[in-house]
Amino acid sequence: MSESFEPKIVGFLCNWCSYAGADLAGTSRMSYPQNVRIIRVPCSGRVDPLFVVKTLIDGADGVMVLGCHPGDCHYQQGNYIAQRRYSIMHRLLEFSGLETDRLFVDWVSASEGKKFSEVVTSFTEKVRNIGPNPLRKKAESGIDVLEEVSS
Amino acid sequence: MKVISQEQLNLWLADLLKQTVVVAPIEKHGKIQYQEINSISQIVWDFTRPELPPRNWVIPMTEPILFIEQGPTTVLKQPDLPHEKILFGLRPCDSRSFKVLDALFWDKEPADPQYARHRQALTLIGLACPEMWDSCFCTVVGGAPDDTEGLDILLTRIDDGFAVQAITEKGQALVSGLDLLQWSGVPADPSEARGLPKLHESAEWAAVFKDVFWKELSHACLSCRVCSFVCPTCRCYDVRDEVIAICPNGKVYERLRAWDTCTSMGYRRIAGGHNPRETQVKRLKNRFYCKFMYYPEDFGVLGCVGCGRCIDACPAGIDILEVVEKVDLKLAQAQI
Amino acid sequence: MTFIEDQIRQTARKYLENDEVSCVIGYERDTRGRSRPVFIESVDQVDRLVWGPDCNLNLASYLHERKHSPGKDQPIPKTAVVLRPCDTRAINLLINEQQVARENVRIIGVTCEGSEINGSLRVDCEFCQERVPPLYDDLILTELPVEVPESADPYADINEMDQWTPEERLAFWTSEFDRCIRCYACRQACPGCYCFECVAEKLDPHWVSIALEVPEKMFFHVMRAYHLAGRCVGCGACEAVCPMDIPLGKLNRKVAKEILELFDYRTGDSIETHPPLVCFNPNERLNL
Repeated sequence: MSESFEPKIVGFLCNWCSYAGADLAGTSRMSYPQNVRIIRVPCSGRVDPLFVVKTLIDGADGVMVLGCHPGDCHYQQGNYIAQRRYSIMHRLLEFSGLETDRLFVDWVSASEGKKFSEVVTSFTEKVRNIGPNPLRKKAESGIDVLEEVSS
Repeated sequence: MKVISQEQLNLWLADLLKQTVVVAPIEKHGKIQYQEINSISQIVWDFTRPELPPRNWVIPMTEPILFIEQGPTTVLKQPDLPHEKILFGLRPCDSRSFKVLDALFWDKEPADPQYARHRQALTLIGLACPEMWDSCFCTVVGGAPDDTEGLDILLTRIDDGFAVQAITEKGQALVSGLDLLQWSGVPADPSEARGLPKLHESAEWAAVFKDVFWKELSHACLSCRVCSFVCPTCRCYDVRDEVIAICPNGKVYERLRAWDTCTSMGYRRIAGGHNPRETQVKRLKNRFYCKFMYYPEDFGVLGCVGCGRCIDACPAGIDILEVVEKVDLKLAQAQI
Repeated sequence: MTFIEDQIRQTARKYLENDEVSCVIGYERDTRGRSRPVFIESVDQVDRLVWGPDCNLNLASYLHERKHSPGKDQPIPKTAVVLRPCDTRAINLLINEQQVARENVRIIGVTCEGSEINGSLRVDCEFCQERVPPLYDDLILTELPVEVPESADPYADINEMDQWTPEERLAFWTSEFDRCIRCYACRQACPGCYCFECVAEKLDPHWVSIALEVPEKMFFHVMRAYHLAGRCVGCGACEAVCPMDIPLGKLNRKVAKEILELFDYRTGDSIETHPPLVCFNPNERLNL
């Protein structure tokens, strides 16, 4: 089962650091798994923890939130606030029955193309190991209907 | 009257369970609930009334009423036909609630297609109440603990088994194969005269519409949805088209219907943000007027069956029977 | 009439006679003997006020209905409220969040012997060390001094759940949320939940489906627990009103525990302190 399982991962990347870091990874021709779907946001402080809950409830297998290193925020304080929020949200999600490794928050700067490819690789591997999101059923039933349509 | 013994009844139910889906009161999470059963042993026989009403079997809490497949062409699909079901162990107030819902959804054209599909698939077997419990007031709204309204079959517990009354042809057909004993007795009347208030005709309610009493009553109301969600006759719903899948050649939507209620804040909000029922008092008053005035005037039946669930469930202690009493008092005062 | 009830009635009478408040919010007994909130607006009604362990709501949440001016040029009404110690913490929170003004509220703080839900003592009350309200205008005393329970871990049940596997926790919450009917009573009874339009009901953006199914209910409860992070006072009103007896307090207590450990913060200690999730400290590095 886990061999054929390709996790779906959503990555919220801050425009000023992590998104540029992902760009750098690309232009430097570093390879990283294709499982991550990137959403560009202005700042890690923009990523309301409810985005994460909604993404998971709607069937994503893992969510990553990447932002500027502390002290480097383009908006001075966005990542400090994100840090506090995710410290709580992470523990709350864990408590409500989701595996710790389904959410990943880290800091990746614009020059850290290598770090970006590394964190994506290791996070994808972790999610692959824990398997599909148990809340995914609903999203999948929709896909069945769709296959019926196209056949 | 015919009687059936407990053993005979169990065998009969086991037989029915092999042929069709049976819904009966069972204990789940420490609460009595109407649920689909797998075995007869799950059925609870001594209970007051289940926590939630049986309307879930005609208007489910959530249900897709249409699938919309939008691609090069748009295809509309109805959901699968509901399975035939037997609702066993209904309290007479609950079975009466089907009559109330039918008046709106089924009796008059145009019928609600999804409701009709559910309703046609149902057979209702009632279990008369042995007594009237604390918050019960079915006799006030025209019912009785051994009322047969809406039922196909009514069972009443007697000393050694159950008295069987087949009310409809459907019910008669169902019991016709059974070898039942004849019984000459009459079940005891469980109705109680305990000084319950008098319910006034719908037309009379108009006179107290502006009374200050409603304002006092509504202070404590939290504007939650408990009273309507435990009500067997509250039937308001919300409909929304929600995307369930996106693919290169189109999108699939489901048209969801889910319970909603006039007691919640956003229910009546309209485009532009205006809310004609913005205050607690307007929302709470609407619930009572809907039951005792608007519904009877529009559909000919009272919108309340007197089960008393809302009395027990309300976190703020708002008591529908107190409202009826107060209206009675106010109208009596007005006459003097 | 009990010792406590006598004091509550006298205090209410004092406020109404002096015209200091327009309304006293307390509890009364209904015709079936159960407690329920009552709004006393005239002195002759004061004797309706009662007190007991089953008075388990947080009456501070009714202040939201009374925080605005009722009409043009009319002053904001002044209200007296009967509150337990944990309930009064909500007043600190609401003042801090500029929802109510201190001068518009009179707090009748009751020395607390613990509140009951469905006849049994609340989990929080078993360990509660705070029997006198941190904030009050009038202190209602008990006949005998209240016994403070011996200090023990108030989060024992949470710690135990933390030891479970994710599957066990998910199974637990799935079975609890399964019977949730999304009636929003928990939200409506909460003093900290006062958004004009809740995320659960917002149409634009459309956060969550209208379906009454487990994922949607889970979203709602996790969202609510998160929005109450550092804001929940632990009054237990959400559990008290839940018609399906879902242990919602566990989610809030988990968050409260983490907030206490990470930020050494307890909600409602004073009017000045802000909930930790609305501020930050540039020098801290948290373990994410």
